[in-house]
Parts: sequence; C-alpha cells; structure tokens
Amino acid sequence: MWSSYTCQRCLASLKTGVRPQLQCASQVRLSPQRWISSQNDQPTKSRLPTAQPLLTKRSVSSTARRYQNIAGDVVQSGTSPGLEYTHAPGVSRRVLLQPDNLFHSFSNSPSPDIRRRAAYMKQHAYCPHPDHRQTRQPTTPDDPEAKKSSTAGSPPAHVRFECPDCGIPVYCSEDHWADDYESHLEICDTLRQINEDDHDLRSGRVFPEFKYPGPQLEGALVNMTNWDTFLYSREFEAINADRSMRQVTRLLTYPITIGSVLTELSPYNIRRGGRLTTEGLKSLSALRYTLHPPLSGGGGDIKGLRLNPPAVRIFIVGARAESSLPREVWAQLTHLFPRAKFHIIFIGPESMSNRDDEFPLPPRTPSNPYGAIVEDRISGELKISTYVEYYHTLHKAGHFYPYDPYFDCFMLFHPGLGHPASSHEWEETVPLLLETKVPILATGYTEWDMQRDLKWVQDKMGGEVDLLLEPGENKFRSLRWDLNDLDPQDISCGNWGLWGFRGKRYETTRKD
Amino acid sequence: MPFLPRSSYYDKNYRQSPALIRARQPYLIKNALTGIAIFGFAISVYAFTIKAVSQDEFEDVKVPDKPIQPTRAPNTTANQA
Repeated sequence: MWSSYTCQRCLASLKTGVRPQLQCASQVRLSPQRWISSQNDQPTKSRLPTAQPLLTKRSVSSTARRYQNIAGDVVQSGTSPGLEYTHAPGVSRRVLLQPDNLFHSFSNSPSPDIRRRAAYMKQHAYCPHPDHRQTRQPTTPDDPEAKKSSTAGSPPAHVRFECPDCGIPVYCSEDHWADDYESHLEICDTLRQINEDDHDLRSGRVFPEFKYPGPQLEGALVNMTNWDTFLYSREFEAINADRSMRQVTRLLTYPITIGSVLTELSPYNIRRGGRLTTEGLKSLSALRYTLHPPLSGGGGDIKGLRLNPPAVRIFIVGARAESSLPREVWAQLTHLFPRAKFHIIFIGPESMSNRDDEFPLPPRTPSNPYGAIVEDRISGELKISTYVEYYHTLHKAGHFYPYDPYFDCFMLFHPGLGHPASSHEWEETVPLLLETKVPILATGYTEWDMQRDLKWVQDKMGGEVDLLLEPGENKFRSLRWDLNDLDPQDISCGNWGLWGFRGKRYETTRKD
Repeated sequence: MPFLPRSSYYDKNYRQSPALIRARQPYLIKNALTGIAIFGFAISVYAFTIKAVSQDEFEDVKVPDKPIQPTRAPNTTANQA
C-alpha cells in the first residue's frame, strides 16, 4: 500500500503492528581501505566452466541470484504485488557464520559453495609469478602477465597455494608467493575483504540493508550527492556498517547509476569539474523533460484522466548478469521518478545469465518475433523485457524504431568496447547505436578501461561522436570489490567509472 | 499505535548514528558557517540596539540647586465645611 501523506516507517508499523527492531549498536567504522584499481581488467565469462580461453567477457555479479534467496525472509512494506514474489516469508534461517568469524580460507570454508569456487579457481587460474611462461596477451599495463616472458620460463602452473592472510588461492607454491610478496601485498587487503564479504553473504544473518523502501512523497527530494545522502533521503534503514554498505551498493549501483545521470538533481553538471558537456546537457534535458513532467492536474478519478506519454525506454545493451538482478532493485529506478514510467530492455547474447530457471524462452510468434521474455506485471511504472539477440539484429529489423531522444537511452554496463576479447562484437553494434542519435551511457571497470573504450569509439567511428559525460569515477559505483574466479589477481568493482557519448548531430550537412 | 516508530538513524541514546553523520558530511562545514553568520548577525543587531539606547552621558549638564520650599498657609487647605 502506498500513501502520499504517510512516511514509510509509519506505514511499516501499521502493517506489521509490532515494535520495529532497534538497530544494533553502531559498529566502529572500519578504516578506509586502500582503493586499488584492478591490476588487469581481463573480462571473463560467467562462472560455469567453459572450454573457452581466459580472454572472454567478465560476467557481472555471478552471485546476484543468491541475494534473492538469502534475503528471502525480510518483510518489506509498501510494494506492489509484482515485487512480492522475491520474498519467501517463513523460510527458516540457519545462521552459518557469526559476524566475528567471517574469515576462512576458501578451501576450508564452512560454505560448500565457496569450497566449490576454490576448486574451480585451482583448476582454471594460473600462477602470476614471472618465472612461468605467459598464458595470454597482457591486456593492461598493470597486468601481471606483462612481467612474464612469452618464450622462456617454466610451464604455467595452476594456483594451489592459498595466502594465509587473505585465504584465496593466488600462487602455485609457497616459494612463488614469498617471492612475489610485494606485488601480492597490494591486493592482499582487498582480497581479504572480498573473502569476508563473500562469507558474510552466506552467513545466514538478517540483512536489513536489503529491505528496499517503496515509492516516496514527491516533495521529499532524493539527494544524489553520494551514496550516504541517497540512502538517507530515500529512507533506507540506517546502514552503519561498511560491510553492509558494500553489500547493498553492489546491487543498487546498476539502477542508481542510470538514475543519477538522468535525474535533474544529478551530481554531474556543466560547471568545471562537473563532467557534463554542453551536448550532454542538451541530450539530458530532452530526457528530463519526460522524466520530470510538469503537473497536469491529473488525479485518480475520471476528471483527472490525462493523456500519458509513453514509457521511457532504457536499452541495456550487452547485458549479462544485470538482467538477473531482483526486480525490486530495478524498481528503485522508478522510485526516483514519480511521474514517469519505465521500460527496461535487456539486449545481448548473454542476457539470460543466471536465469536458468526461466528457460526455455517463449516461442517466436509474429507478435513476439524474437522470443523475448516480457515482464509487465512488476508494477505500474516498470516493465522489463529480455532479448537474447545481438542489438544489430534488432536494429536492422527496425524492431524498436522510431528512436526518440526524449524517451530513449542506451546503457552499456562494462561493455569492454576496446577490450581485445569483446571489441569485435561491438564493431557492428556501435555504429547503429550512434545512428539513433540517442544518448549512450557506458561504465567501465577502471579509468584505463574507460579511456581505452573512448579511444576505440573515436577511432572506429572516425570522430563522429559527441562526448556527453567525460570519463571519470562514478559517484554511485559499487563499493564492493569482486573477485574474478578465473584470475584471482583481477579484482574489480562494478561500474567504477561512467561516461557518455552520442552520435554527432549536424543541423545541416553539405551534399558532397 | 501508541508511539511513533524510532528512526534508525539515531541509536537508543538518541545520538546520531554513523550513517547520519556520513550523510551530513558534505554539508557540515557550510551549515556551521551559515549558522555562525546568522547568529553573528542576530548578536550584532542586539549589540547595536543596546548600545544605541543605552543611557546618555549627562556629566556636562549642571543640575540646578534645590528650590526654596514655599511657606504653608493654614487657610489654604481645602477643607470646606
């Protein structure tokens, strides 16, 4: 139930009728961790073992599903019926790990899932010590593969030895670990943090941070300066612990990154240091005209009937595990824009990652020619479609034509445009994206990654690109670092950087 | 419902939680300066007003001597029979 004049906490008590649990005593804020940009951003496929070489796309959030199951018994108020399927109240919770007992070496972990991951890593990941031969081309300047030589050296060995400080198998033997200690020390702290966070997720505790609030009063503006002000002004429960902040931002980064750029209260502006360019302001103003429409005098009765504009379409091209995020997480985007409707469209060959129980896809019929999964019962403001196709196929078929810069937006989450493993797939798609003249927002794992993507786009498209948002750190990035199972040296955080571009528009062109 | 639910941003002793302090962080210094400016203005208005209406200096005015008492006449009392 949603009311326009009662705050969410009061509604929650009315609904449950019991005294809400007081938050446990505020924990000491952990000292700021060293932010180490990932040493290489080799993308890999999802965790399922494949015969493909290591140099493939990284799948995002392979544990997205788990959030759904673990947070299953947290009651949420104020949601529409379409979102309640993700909760299973009454599921008995068994606490596996206490909060002070979260560090376990991966091979000896109490959780069978993590032990399986450790076995996978030991089968697939290679030791980064320079003595071994190279296994693949180095992808970034910081890649440990760059230190290895391609001709001389001992044959590459799988990792077997787990560092006692971080508990993750990182080297093939203790000697190599001790030898390479200085470079391991750069990431050891972060690896330990990842270890503890992974165990925390499987510890079976109550997760008050996954209790997402519903829609809020229009007048209660959402402050988009940073995560803390956002969570406070959106009336989340207070998230005092850093670990909880990490867990919750890891999922929320996907909808909120989009929301932070499109909203009129966005932290990106045209002042110096605000990263938005004039062209960016033009594109975003068009979208904001639809997202923040003037009041039309409409209401709930017959006299309040007004013509409604179509939904804002956000095409998430090259979607991987983002499409499996719980729908309440995507609904947070609609709660930022009270008077707009959204249609989120996931397009990509891997857009059904982590959604194995939704197979088989619907049959291809004339009314649904691409066998898309359409979820239109989520809420009155959100509809989600998933296409397992390349974007260029759909574009050439004119399936989403016409594209309107007042309603449409493309979002690319870590596309790896310039990355050698994935850039050939984007070569056909990006020119078509630019042709639509609709804003395209892209994120990247690191600064270097984004610059490489930007350079690739400008080289390939011959400069016919307008920059909308200069590359830089995303204010709403994931605060949690993720481990790449195929290469433990490669740690990344989701949506670290954000930038935007669009095809160049000319008012007139010469007829040559 | 006999009472309002407590905000999770304050702990049981009504002290601000770390989440609230972090949320206030970008505005702490600007708010403190604004507060000082407003209080300063109010205090300066008081100070000026009090100084402006404080008692004047009358040291240069010569106080005349006490006047001589007029003689009392018994038939001037107002006692009509």
